[in-house]
This record gives sequence, C-alpha cells and structure tokens, in this order.
Amino acid sequence: MASLVSCPHCGSRPKEEFTVKGAALKRPAPDAGQERWMDYVYLRDNPRGAYEEYWHHTSGCRRWLVVTRDTATHEIADSRDAALGVPETRA
Amino acid sequence: MSKYRLIHRPALSDKQPFNASGIGLTALPEGHVIHVLAEQGADPSAMLKGLAEQGHSVRYAAPGQWYIVGDEPLADDALAALLTRLTPHAEGVDQSHGRVRILARGPMVERVLAKGSGTDLALSAFVVGRSTTTLIGHIAAHITRVEDHAFEIMVLRGFAESLWDDLAQMSAEFAA
Repeated sequence: MASLVSCPHCGSRPKEEFTVKGAALKRPAPDAGQERWMDYVYLRDNPRGAYEEYWHHTSGCRRWLVVTRDTATHEIADSRDAALGVPETRA
Repeated sequence: MSKYRLIHRPALSDKQPFNASGIGLTALPEGHVIHVLAEQGADPSAMLKGLAEQGHSVRYAAPGQWYIVGDEPLADDALAALLTRLTPHAEGVDQSHGRVRILARGPMVERVLAKGSGTDLALSAFVVGRSTTTLIGHIAAHITRVEDHAFEIMVLRGFAESLWDDLAQMSAEFAA
C-alpha cells in the first residue's frame, strides 16, 4: 500500500504529514431542507474504488486539498487545491 | 516576584556545534524572521524579488506565504520600514522570537535529513534556494537549500532543542 500523497504544491509526501477530513461533498444551500442536510452531515457512500476526500497538508504547506484516492488500493489518482472548488458532479 | 531570574538566552545556546567531515550542525544567530502573508488575490513576487536583490533572504513557505530571514536583529525602525514595504501586497508578522534556524552542512547532509523527512532532497529536484515545509521525525520544520551541501532548517523555538537532539543523533554515524 502506497503511503505517499502527492501535494500539488509540495510534491510527493508521506501521509504522516497530512490530516484526513473525509469525503469531499458539495455543501447544500442553507435552505435545502432537513433531509438534504441529514445526508450531507451523516450519510456517506463508502464505495470500493475512487473516492474524493479532503486532506489537509498539516505539516507542509497547510493547504486544504481534494485528493482522489482508491479506497481499496490507496492509489492516488489526482490531488488539487480545495480552494479551486469542488466539481458540481458530486452533489 | 519569581524565585528564579528569567534569563533571555538563545534557544540552542547550550548545544555544542560540531563540524565533522561528513556533516556539521550550527545554530544560526537569532536575528530576524518575518512571516509574509500575501493579501488575497495579490501577487507580491515582484516586491519580494526587489527585497531579495537588496540583500534580504526571502524563503518561500507555501502558496502566498514567505519568510524573510537574516542573522542580524532588526531595530524597531528597520522592522517598521520593512513591514511598510510589504504593504499593500502582503502583511508581515515578526516571528524573530518564535523561530530558530539551524545550519546543517556537509556532503552527507541529504542522507542525514532523509532519515527524518520524506521530501525529495536530491540536488536535481531541490535546487539551491528552494524551500519547503516538511516533517523531520515528528517535528514540522522549514527546510531551505542554501548551498549544494547545506540546508537551513527553521523550526518553532519550543521544538528547537528536540530537533537539534534528533539531528545530532541522525548525524552521529557521519560525525565520527
């Protein structure tokens, strides 16, 4: 299992430098309704395969990243700065 | 009043510097460290390049963040002048009392640091003048390559003694 995470600013770094927050989901509108907010706060898909997560490069550049990670193999397909936005496809 | 006198001394004043053929460790003078934070959307790189050309040592830290470091303490008016020069592109925070710099120099320096950090420090990938923040063991440190075989390692003052002890232990096999 790989334990290296590629940071778009710092390059390849050991996972010990990072803090994982969890799934990178699109935040619902404030008035989206209780059901949408229950889903957003509590429910996760837990897929086997590609998954987008928020990772914080705590001991490096201290930027929030969106890392696309395979939950079965831990292969990192992509990582980008979270400030650039979350794609609309993940609602 | 405390029973004990508070003594202002450099964080690493009781550590013995050493300079073996493979690796040497020296505590750099506690001069000045200014943390520079860019305003949102601003690009202070031209201004920082100007400062570097005037003899300031400017170290990249993270997107929109830099350190300006030096061996000489800055007087109040010199510090105020420097902070004024940063605006309106960026803000500066005086961290001179909060961060300590260590110089590690020698042909084995990369092998010493590789024991504690996962960063690629090969000269081809990490050229002179390049900086990054990384973990050395469990301690976050800011590393700058200042020469082909010399790194400046900047660490929070409270961690300086621990990091020095770790570096000394990591250096032991090359410092005989």
